[in-house]
Amino acid sequence: MSRKSSGVSRRDLIKSAVGVSIFPTLAFTKGEAKRENAQVVIVGGGYGGVTTAKYLKKENPKLSVILIEQRHFFMSCPLSNHFLAGLMELTPLCFAYNVLEVKYGVKVINDKVIGIELDRKVVRTSQGYISYDFLVLSPGIDYDIEDKPFYAEALVYYPPAFKPGSEHIYLKKLLSEFEGGDIVITVPPPPYRCPPAPYERAALIASMIKRNKLKAHLYFIDANERPLINSEGFLSAYYDLYKDVATYVTSAQVKDVDVGKKVVKTSYGDFKFDIANIIPPMKAHSILESAGLLKKGEKWVSVNPLTFETQVENVFVIGDASMSYLPKSGYAAHSEGKVVAKLINAKLMGKEVKEELLQMVCYAMVDDREAIMTETSFKYEKDRGRFIPIHREDNQRKESTAKRYIEWAKGLWRDMFG
Amino acid sequence: MDRRDFIKTCGAIAVASFLDTKFFSEALASQEGFLKLYSKAILLKEDGTPLTEKDIAPHREYIFFYPFASTPCYLINLGDEVKGAQLKLNDGQTYLWKGGVGSKKSIVAYSAICSHQWSYPTKDYAFINYYPPDKPSETTKKAGVIQCCAHLTVFDPKAGGKVIEGPAEVPLASILLEEEGGKLYAVGVLGKDQFDAFFENYKTDLRKEYGSTAKAKELVDKCVVMEVGKYVKEIIRC
Ligand SMILES: Cc1cc2nc3c(=O)[nH]c(=O)nc-3n(C[C@H](O)[C@H](O)[C@H](O)COP(=O)(O)OP(=O)(O)OC[C@H]3O[C@@H](n4cnc5c(N)ncnc54)[C@H](O)[C@@H]3O)c2cc1C
Ligand code: FES
Repeated sequence: MSRKSSGVSRRDLIKSAVGVSIFPTLAFTKGEAKRENAQVVIVGGGYGGVTTAKYLKKENPKLSVILIEQRHFFMSCPLSNHFLAGLMELTPLCFAYNVLEVKYGVKVINDKVIGIELDRKVVRTSQGYISYDFLVLSPGIDYDIEDKPFYAEALVYYPPAFKPGSEHIYLKKLLSEFEGGDIVITVPPPPYRCPPAPYERAALIASMIKRNKLKAHLYFIDANERPLINSEGFLSAYYDLYKDVATYVTSAQVKDVDVGKKVVKTSYGDFKFDIANIIPPMKAHSILESAGLLKKGEKWVSVNPLTFETQVENVFVIGDASMSYLPKSGYAAHSEGKVVAKLINAKLMGKEVKEELLQMVCYAMVDDREAIMTETSFKYEKDRGRFIPIHREDNQRKESTAKRYIEWAKGLWRDMFG
Repeated sequence: MDRRDFIKTCGAIAVASFLDTKFFSEALASQEGFLKLYSKAILLKEDGTPLTEKDIAPHREYIFFYPFASTPCYLINLGDEVKGAQLKLNDGQTYLWKGGVGSKKSIVAYSAICSHQWSYPTKDYAFINYYPPDKPSETTKKAGVIQCCAHLTVFDPKAGGKVIEGPAEVPLASILLEEEGGKLYAVGVLGKDQFDAFFENYKTDLRKEYGSTAKAKELVDKCVVMEVGKYVKEIIRC
């Protein structure tokens, strides 16, 4: 891929990474009164919600745990780029929610939450109200497109495939039917769900063009100066492997998408396409805004970064919808779910919980067979309320890393549905 | 009394004679819920003759299956004496680990089912492995450790399988080894074993490999020990 990115070094990126100081004090569970029964309602059966539900029941089978999810089946976004690129079927990515009911006694309600009334401690669904003692919200993201209506039209024709489900299936159909021409992928500025996902998708689609010997070219249009993570590994793949089939355009803002003329207009010029994957900017799910958990102008819910509790007592927001020291990843949502389950159970038992810092492991494919990875641990400067990320990147593309990637995902699914 | 309690009681009587009596009484007094004694199983070489200390080269990784036909364990000679250790669980409970066996007290064994999300060595891949002192992990730079590459948990084989770093919340379960007349035996499992999760999560794989869940769950009375590289097609290091 052409067009050199800026001279920002990896170290600079690390330095400027996270400096979250949202809550000046860390409100930890301090020996509250023991309670016999409580009802925990969880909204969203994704990585965060499923983990919270299972671990709440696993640790305390007597607890009443209700998971409300609008979809019938769980589908994993992690490894969905494998599916899009034809490296994996869709079926291994899907799981039935009833497993949680049968094995752990979680009550799964298949419905859409249409309102949250924090003052009355109730959640409204199409079938009625459900009250809670503790509320865990993990509804994920929405596309942040109100001020840019062209995105709304674009995503009907060229789905972002950043929410689990039919968007992926339709994008896969577009890719499978693509016989040649130009493909455009656009990447928004951060924060968005899964920092490496668009870079991985671009690499896998470029690799698919090569593998299928298509007369095609990928224009990968990035609002950022360079890949947000594993930039060394991605750039070397783009320049070493895909120079002839792909162009990497950095620091280019999307100004308009004309789906009729099939043109993406950017600050770096216009790009015509035959098919596109327009990934818009993102924000926390709108249900959180209507619940009053987002202040005016905020895109993500502020939480106590160590407990994921919002400013409303016993209301937690985890996963991509919250703003914490962790990246917006399935691994983070899963780990946060465990922390919150532990915390709620501890609160009920009147026990204290030790603070813990989570660690991240993140993989990305760079071609059909090889992957790169990052591991991040965090240091917490209590006095300054700052989290310092310590990255360990492996930018050497390896088949063994790709195999670890699959095992990584299988481990999470075992933990959630096993 | 369920089947496992029954096994535990019988096993306890069967192995009592060759356990260090001090350890054994301490064990029974303080290990309630952590020590499970299974049938005493002799460790054998691939040719069927008893494995002896000299057959276990230092810092190589050997595999055997105990206490069930399908549950893999690693056997490692760490070269030098490995002292006992106290292990702590995240809920504050503790248990004692006896240390190495053999003339140098350097031989240890652990369940090879990762205590995080149960990655284990199959015939195709081993993501969890021992990193000898001269071959540190490329990612964590740690050596003399057991590391699982799925989510990068690092365990300390010199300290009863304690978690050094990574997401696992409990130590690797250790396999209780005894030496008697130059022969080595596995007699029990100490710590929080992951067998229930293992059998639950790998039903299909185990049925394919062993014919039925019951076969996979058969208790063994002898264990063939071989180098991991001989059993597994690909050792994935990280
Ligand atoms: C292409 C791609 C690749 C990725 N790869 C990785 C990876 O390799 N590793 C990694 O760690 N992460 C990866 N991710 C990120 C990961 O998918 C997310 O970070 C994770 O899903 C966030 O979990 P969550 O619980 O916040 O949201 P989700 O998993 O999206 O769950 C939200 C759930 O809430 C439900 N919901 C929303 N609103 C309502 C409502 N009103 N009523 C009822 N239900 C509702 C939704 O249907 C959904 O099931 C990837 C993402 C993408 C898009
Ligand atoms: S399964 Fe071993 S670290 Fe996760």
